[in-house]
Amino acid sequence: MSAPSVHIAKDRLHHLLMADRMKCTPDMAEKLSRDMYHTIAKYIEIRPENFQLKITRSDIHIKYTGENY
Amino acid sequence: MGEVIVITSGKGGVGKTTTTANIGIGLAQAGKKVIVIDTDLGLRNLDVVMGLENKIVYNLVDVIEGNCRLRQALIRDKRFAELYLLPSAQTRDKSAVSPGQMQKLISELETEFDYILLDCPAGIEQGFENAVAGAERAIIVTTPEVSAIRDADRIIGLLETKGIKKNSLIINRLRIEMVQKGDMMTVEDVTEILAIPLLGVIPDDEQVVIATNQGEPIVGTDSLSGHAYDHICRRILGEEIPIPDFSHSDSFFSRVRRLFGKN
Repeated sequence: MSAPSVHIAKDRLHHLLMADRMKCTPDMAEKLSRDMYHTIAKYIEIRPENFQLKITRSDIHIKYTGENY
Repeated sequence: MGEVIVITSGKGGVGKTTTTANIGIGLAQAGKKVIVIDTDLGLRNLDVVMGLENKIVYNLVDVIEGNCRLRQALIRDKRFAELYLLPSAQTRDKSAVSPGQMQKLISELETEFDYILLDCPAGIEQGFENAVAGAERAIIVTTPEVSAIRDADRIIGLLETKGIKKNSLIINRLRIEMVQKGDMMTVEDVTEILAIPLLGVIPDDEQVVIATNQGEPIVGTDSLSGHAYDHICRRILGEEIPIPDFSHSDSFFSRVRRLFGKN
């Protein structure tokens, strides 16, 4: 049996929606996420795996879980 | 004054027309005076799903162009005297109707009907603009697939831009066994992504195909999808009915399915 495919669907959708909502390519969305991470990392001790940028239709959410380690 | 609801999705083939027909019939079953309007110019479908295709004389474009009076184009449903259909035109070009004309038409109907349901065409072009022009609330239909959810997100964004903020979601054709195996997005996955209130979940059910073949409603029948549509109609009417949990193997529906030997 192959691995459940739902994670792939959610991951693809996440990238697609981010790009749709920003009206840019998935590649640009990735770059934005990376730039935001680097900017925040200048001020806050944070690791890439604890950083998440989420763009909804009306908001940009930046989530980090820095205090957990 | 009636409530004007557009049923839309962005992507085609996710069940807008079937949903429009069954919500219309369900609300009529509840004793409401309902009109369903097919706004898909050139690709008429709602009449066929409702089994009323042989009764069409005039259509939406005839009304707009003044070839007939509004009343002459309305088709009364064969099951419910308080349910009417305004069919679309099969052969006219998509620019035959404007959003302003739709608004005017709807304002005439609002005084007479409790619910005005607009079946929106796929896409985000003129047909979409026409369908949403007079609507105060939208039901977005999606299936748990990447492409359908992506389009639903676009549509919700467009509706919000147009000031239609009372939006709710129907997840159609959920395959419970696939969700349990991890091969289909869960109800929670979809609602989390789209972030609008959930109006209902319709399990994938071959009874829908059978009913549609016959031009008969599924709502009101003793089937998984029939009950789901019934719940949706009652939620529209203001009842608070919880959405069943589809993610666990001992859910109500899987028990029902086992009972009927379908697992």
